[in-house]
Amino acid sequence: MTDAYLYACYGLTLRSQLQLPELLPLSASSFHVNVAEIDIRLGMVARGGLAGGKQIGPYAWVNARSLWLQVPHVARFLVSEGREILIDPEPGIDEDSLRVFLLGSAFGALLFQRGHLVLHGNAIRIGDRCMVCVGPSGAGKSTLAAGFMRRGYPILADDVVPVDSQCRAIPGFPRIKLWQDVTEKLAIDATDLRRIRPNTEKFNLPVGIEGAAEPLPIRWIYILDSDHLEALKIEPIPGMQRFQPLHNNTYRVQFLQGMALKPEHLKLCGQLAGRIRLARLTRPRKGFNLEPMIDRILADIAEHP
Amino acid sequence: MGGIYWLASYPKSGNTWFRTFLKNLIEDGDEPADINDLSIGNVASSRAWLDEVLGFDTAELDPDEVDRLRPEVYRWSLRDDAIAYHKIHDAYTSTLNGEPLVGREATLGALYILRNPLDVAPSYANHNHSSIDDAITRMSEHDHALCKSRKGLPNQVRQQLLTWSEHVLSWVDAPDLNCRVIRYEDMLEDPLAAFTRAARFLQLPHDTARIAKAIRFSDFKVLSRQEEQNGFREKAPKTERFFRQGKSGDWRDKLTPEQIARIVAEHGKVMRRFGYLNTAGEPL
Repeated sequence: MTDAYLYACYGLTLRSQLQLPELLPLSASSFHVNVAEIDIRLGMVARGGLAGGKQIGPYAWVNARSLWLQVPHVARFLVSEGREILIDPEPGIDEDSLRVFLLGSAFGALLFQRGHLVLHGNAIRIGDRCMVCVGPSGAGKSTLAAGFMRRGYPILADDVVPVDSQCRAIPGFPRIKLWQDVTEKLAIDATDLRRIRPNTEKFNLPVGIEGAAEPLPIRWIYILDSDHLEALKIEPIPGMQRFQPLHNNTYRVQFLQGMALKPEHLKLCGQLAGRIRLARLTRPRKGFNLEPMIDRILADIAEHP
Repeated sequence: MGGIYWLASYPKSGNTWFRTFLKNLIEDGDEPADINDLSIGNVASSRAWLDEVLGFDTAELDPDEVDRLRPEVYRWSLRDDAIAYHKIHDAYTSTLNGEPLVGREATLGALYILRNPLDVAPSYANHNHSSIDDAITRMSEHDHALCKSRKGLPNQVRQQLLTWSEHVLSWVDAPDLNCRVIRYEDMLEDPLAAFTRAARFLQLPHDTARIAKAIRFSDFKVLSRQEEQNGFREKAPKTERFFRQGKSGDWRDKLTPEQIARIVAEHGKVMRRFGYLNTAGEPL
């Protein structure tokens, strides 16, 4: 077959025609080739959506076995049955641009198809369990993850956090995506870091996810938001009210429509809701005061072990 | 088939007050609407809205790439049955593809909320914690935009404002746009007439009793009392209250003669057109 690269990620073996330097490479022994669970290939993906499928956005279609996604001027992606991603690049597009959407939305869909709950957040190891920070884009999740990393806490996953049927976070890509203003603020030298895409001031910061990192039970979830406040605020969310915030912070929750995965998703949300300390953490919109925020979270964790 | 009416304005021009009125009108409740739940739609630049409809992160795109996709997001609204009312601060511009940013097919109309720039400037300065002179300078810059930093990730995408005058004319003179202007000062001076015209334009109930109740529930005293009790999420920190007494003419106390002259020199043509200058070029 054509050249293929082998990687380990999310507890899976990936065989990919596209090079994925963000991932942990595996040697090309015959054992790995034969047992790769995920196939990532370049090939034709039909224009105009999925025949017989349901359109869920101007650039997204689903049916029971596949998600079709177009990123205009970049590529079309077809993600099928939790085991295959087909990429049809636009002519002349750079590989970095393919990767950013492959490792984002396309992988998010694949993980859904594999039966996981997928949160939009970061997973950080605390002792032998983990804490997840979820929230909308721009809420400061990756900044917070970088701050925890600087204090020696291992990062399990950035941006896309799959949760298995035992409510454990599965370790993901060994990198955090950071904006230039964050690298400057944290005095991280970005000179040698890969840009996410050409023409963006956003970088891949490698994190040392150990090769044999295992899924860890999720014990704490903090929902990040910013507001015109003047002080940090943590508000616990009691048992009966936990379901909806978890659902709302699911990564690409709209992909669940039409993929026949919603019942399993709702069940996992319910299971997770029953096991965690869930709180909303609202920070002042102006000025990101990172260290006090981390201190506050660690104090809350110590108070609710 | 639905569609969008845009509630368009330059920042600090009364959009929040108008949306409060609209919320009270639509809800038609027995009590005033909660100022911390004013959402009757989205804000056009909401990253969460765009990402949800697109299925991928606008954080991974540059601002021009995002703008090229925004019309598609708004067109997606046509699948809803109900008319939507969304706030927008962007000037009415076109994407690099040459189509209106707001998406022509999705747009039923735009209500342009206009305020005297002599009052906008001190309010804008206050909101941004900047000097009035800085605010006047920003209001005079063609490339002025909100959320335009490319080094970080705000929760809204870039909004090109242009100069204050260019912003106004981009909307009110846009070809093929069903646009109606409502002046902030008219909302204050004759609220029943002004809000009735607006509600009719927006295809909303506009009988006198209902309008009058919504106006009463949106009175500054009501909003101020709520803010005093519960705070207001949209108020910038370290500023005094958001819902101070709604006024026109504050500029007489706040602007120096030099600042007034700068604003009139830059924006006089548009000010005269909308009744903010007399025929002799003096502020009214």
